[in-house]
Amino acid sequence: MKSNVSTAATAPIATNGDTILSVQDLRTHFYTRDGVVRAVDGVTFDLARGETLCIVGESGCGKSVTALSILGLIPPKIGEIVSGSIRFDGTELTTESEREMRSIRGNRISMIFQEPMTSLNPVLTVGEQISESLRIHQRLDRRAAWDRAIEMLALVRIADPKRRAGEYPHQLSGGMRQRVMIAMALACNPQVLVADEPTTALDVTIQAQILNLMLELKDRLGTAIVLITHDLGVVAETAQRVIVMYAGRMVEEAPVRELLNNPKHPYTRGLIGSIPRRKSGGARGRTRGRLQEISGLVPSLREPIPGCAFAPRCSFATPRCITEQPPFEAHGPRHFAACWEVARIEATSSDQLVSSPT
Amino acid sequence: MSSAEVVLRVKDLKKHFPVHRGVLSRVVAHVQAVDGVSFEIRRGETLCLVGESGCGKSTVARSITRLEEPTAGTIELNGVDITALNSEALRAQRREMQMVFQDPYSSLNPRLSAGDIVGEPLTNFDLAQGAELEQRIAKLFEHVGLRPEAVNKYPHEFSGGQRQRLGIARALAVNPSLIIADEPVSALDVSVQAQVLNLLIDLQEEFNLAYLFVSHDLAVVEHIGHRVAVMYLGRIVELADNADLFGTPLHPYTEALLAAAPVLEVDGPRERIILQGDVPSPMNPPSGCRFHTRCPYVLPECKRTDPPLLEVAPGHHVACLRRPVGDSGAPLSIA
Amino acid sequence: MASTTAGAAAATTPSSSKGALKWARRNKTIVGGSLILLTLVVIAILAPWLAGDPLQFEPTNRLKRPSETFWFGTDQFGRDVYSRVIYGTRISLIIGLCVAVLATAIGLVVGVLCGFYKTVDTILMRVMDGMMAIPAILLAIALITLMKASLLIVIVAITIPEIPRVARLVRSVVLSVRGRPYIEAAISSGTRNGRIMVRHILPNTVAPLIVQATYVCASAILTEAGLSFLGAGTPPEIPSWGNIISLGRTFFQISPWIIFFPGLCLAITVLAINLVGDGLRDTLDPRISRRM
Repeated sequence: MKSNVSTAATAPIATNGDTILSVQDLRTHFYTRDGVVRAVDGVTFDLARGETLCIVGESGCGKSVTALSILGLIPPKIGEIVSGSIRFDGTELTTESEREMRSIRGNRISMIFQEPMTSLNPVLTVGEQISESLRIHQRLDRRAAWDRAIEMLALVRIADPKRRAGEYPHQLSGGMRQRVMIAMALACNPQVLVADEPTTALDVTIQAQILNLMLELKDRLGTAIVLITHDLGVVAETAQRVIVMYAGRMVEEAPVRELLNNPKHPYTRGLIGSIPRRKSGGARGRTRGRLQEISGLVPSLREPIPGCAFAPRCSFATPRCITEQPPFEAHGPRHFAACWEVARIEATSSDQLVSSPT
Repeated sequence: MSSAEVVLRVKDLKKHFPVHRGVLSRVVAHVQAVDGVSFEIRRGETLCLVGESGCGKSTVARSITRLEEPTAGTIELNGVDITALNSEALRAQRREMQMVFQDPYSSLNPRLSAGDIVGEPLTNFDLAQGAELEQRIAKLFEHVGLRPEAVNKYPHEFSGGQRQRLGIARALAVNPSLIIADEPVSALDVSVQAQVLNLLIDLQEEFNLAYLFVSHDLAVVEHIGHRVAVMYLGRIVELADNADLFGTPLHPYTEALLAAAPVLEVDGPRERIILQGDVPSPMNPPSGCRFHTRCPYVLPECKRTDPPLLEVAPGHHVACLRRPVGDSGAPLSIA
Repeated sequence: MASTTAGAAAATTPSSSKGALKWARRNKTIVGGSLILLTLVVIAILAPWLAGDPLQFEPTNRLKRPSETFWFGTDQFGRDVYSRVIYGTRISLIIGLCVAVLATAIGLVVGVLCGFYKTVDTILMRVMDGMMAIPAILLAIALITLMKASLLIVIVAITIPEIPRVARLVRSVVLSVRGRPYIEAAISSGTRNGRIMVRHILPNTVAPLIVQATYVCASAILTEAGLSFLGAGTPPEIPSWGNIISLGRTFFQISPWIIFFPGLCLAITVLAINLVGDGLRDTLDPRISRRM
C-alpha cells in the first residue's frame, strides 16, 4: 500500500479571515504546595479552518496544558486559566460555563489522547461509546447513532466494522483503539481536532497508519488539527505550521519546512541537532558523530523567569537575555521567534549547528 | 572489528511463556516470545536489536541476563555457557555483564542514596571498601558526568537524564565486558537522549565495551549501532552491518520499518510503504514465514515454508524466501 | 520506613520547634492518640503508687457506689474497682504490645519467605489459611482447657490467628516490590538474595507493618477482654478489664459502675491505638509520600 504525504507541506494555508480558533496570550497556572507553576505563560496563535498546526516541545513545556486549556479541561482548584482569551468560531471559551463547554467538547472541538486504553471506557462496547456522543450532541436516536457509529468505524478503516462495534476496548489492538478514538472524535464532524501525542504509544508501522489516516480524514472533512507532539519527525511529516514551546512559552513559529531548514531560535536549533538522523547511504559501520546536546536543565516554572527562559542553557546568551524577555516577533515571512540574538545566530551557519559532524 | 574476541554468543535462544487457563490452571498454550535467536557480539562492538513492541527484543535481553530463564538455547559469555550455571556461579558471571534499564525512575531504589546505588555492585563483588569504595564511586560519577557531591542525594532529586547516568554508572562499576541496555533512552526527552547516547558512545570507546542495545527507534539504532538485528515475532529477520541494513535493507519488514519511521527531511512527496494490519499474536504465530500476513510481496510459498536466516552477502543475513544466496530478486526455487 | 519517615520528617519538621508544631497540627490524630497512649503507659507503670491493692477483699464494702474513698465504686467482693482498673491497664497494654510484636515478627518472617520462594509459598500460605479459619476464642478456650490458664497462654492464643494477617500483608508487599525494575537491577548487578531482601525489599514492608501492628494491638486488647469475659482469658487472680467486666455483668442492673469504668478504659485505649494507626497510615502511605 503506497501513498504520499505531499499534501501536508504544500496545501495552501488559509488567510486570517478563515480563523476558526484564536488563542491570545493564554496563561494557565497550577497551584501546588510548593507554589504557583506557570505551566502556560503567554501563548498566542491562530488556527485556520482545515489547517494542521503542530505544537512541539519536550516534557513539561506546557504543550499539553495548552490543549487542556482550549478544551476547558483544566481541573478546577488545582489550576486555572489566569488570563488570555480563547476564541472559537466567534465564541469566547474562557468565560463559557461548564454546561456550554460540554456542548462544544466532543462536538465542535474534539480531542484524541495519547493512551487510547485509558480514554476508552472498558465496560462499554466501542459502538456504544461512539454512538453515545452522537446521541448527546447530534440528538440522533439509538438506531441512527449506531448506524453512524458503524459508518465512522468504516471511515477509520476498521475491517468488519459491524462486528467490531459490538466489541469491548480490550478486544482491540493498540492501533485499532486509536482508530476508535479517532472515529469517536470525528463522529460529530468537529471543526477542530486537538490530538495530544496521538501516536506516541504506538509502534512505528502503526504510527504511520494512524498519521496517514488523520491527514486523509482532515482533507476529506476539512477539520483543523492541533497536533501536540514531542517528535520532530512526526511534525515534519504532518504539520503545515509549527509552534515550538519551551518552559510554558512560545519560542518559535514558522511553516514546517522553514522551521526545519532555517530554525532561528537556539532552542529549536538544539532540538533539531539533538535528534539522531537517518542518513541516506553513507559510510560503513556506524557514523560516529556526536549528537548535539543541550546542556543544563529545564528551568523550574515555580519562579517567575524575568528574561528568556532558555538563556541559562544558551551559548548565545547575553546579560540582556537574562533580564529582559525577548518579544515574539517576525524574523522573516510568517516566521516568528522570541530571541534577542537572532542576527548573531543567523550568522552562524545552520549546518554547523544542525547536521551531525562526520 | 571481526578479529576482536567474541564477548557474547547466543545460539538458538528460545523463551516460551506458558499460558494458563481454567480452574486447574492447565497450560493451554505457549507465547513464543523468542523463538530461535542466534547472534554474537565482539569486544567494543554495539549490536542493536530493533523491532516493534512484542517482537521479543526485550525478552532476548532479559533471557541473556537470566532475569527470565531461557526455555532453550545456549548463552556463552566470554566462552562460559551461563545457561547451565547455578545461582552462585551465575552471580559471579554477572560481573562481566551489566544491565541498563529503560525507566530511569523505577530502576533506582528510591530509598538508597545515589552513592549507595552506584556502589552496590562493587560491594557485591567485594571489589572495594571504605575510603577506596568512596573513591571509586566518585570516579564513576565523574565518568558519567555527574558531580561528586551528588553521592548523598536521593534518586528523586535528579532529573530523568541524570538518573539514567546513575544507571549507567552502576552498570560500569564492576568493569563489565558487556552492557545490555534495554531501551535506555526511550523514556527521555530528545535533548537528554542525545546526552545519554553521546555518553554511551564515549564510554564504549574508553573502556572497549560491548553493547547489546535494545531499541524500537531506528534513528537511535542507526546512530549507535555497529551491527543491527531486526526482530519480528520472536525471530531475527535480518542481521547486518549498520550501513548495509539501512542502505540496502533486504527483508520486506525492514524496508517497511524504515519507510514508516518519520524523518525530518521530507522535501517533496515521499514514497512510503504502509503496512496493513497489526502484528499477529505470538501465541499463535502464522505458519511459514511469520511476516507473510503483512508482507506486500507475499508469495504462495511463504505461507508454507519458514525461511531460515541465511547469509546472502558478507555479514548480511536475511530470512526471506525472496532473497536467496547470491541473488537479489527472483524467488528461490524450492526443490 | 527509615527513609520515608526521614524524608517526611525532613520535609515537615525543620529543626525549629515551629516546624514541630506545624507537623503536630497537620497530624492531630497521631498526636492525640499518642498522648492518650502515653498517659495509659504512665498509669500502668505507676500503678502501685496510683492505686491500692486490687485483690484486697473487703466484705463490708460490697457493691458500693463511686464515692470519695472508692472512686469507681466496689465490686461484689468489696474490691476497689478503681485499683482493679488501674492494674488492668497493665494487662491490657502488655497483651496488646506482646501480641503486636510477636504476630508482626513471626508474620514478617513467614511473609518474606512466602513472597520470595514459590515452593515455600504454596505450603505456608495454605497453613496460614488454615490458621485464619480458627477463631481466636475457640483456640484460646481449647488451649486453656488443655493447660493451666496464664497470661502466656492468652498471648499465644491471641497471637496465632493474627499471624496470617500480617504474613499476607508482608507477602503482598514483597510480591509487589519483587517485580520492580530496581530489584531486577539489583539482581543483575550481582546482589545476593539475602542482601536484596534486607536492603531493597524489607524497608518497603516497614511502613505498612507499623500500621498493621497498631491494628493487631487494638484487636488483641479487645480479644483478651472478650476471652476474659467468657472466662477463658486471663486467670481471675490477675485483674484485667475483661474479667472485671465479666464479674460485674451479674450485677449490671444494681451496680453498673463495675462494668462501666473498665469498659470506658477499653474503648478509650482501642480508640487511641486506632487513631495512631490511621494517622500513621496516612503519613506513611507510599502513594502520598512518594508524590513529594
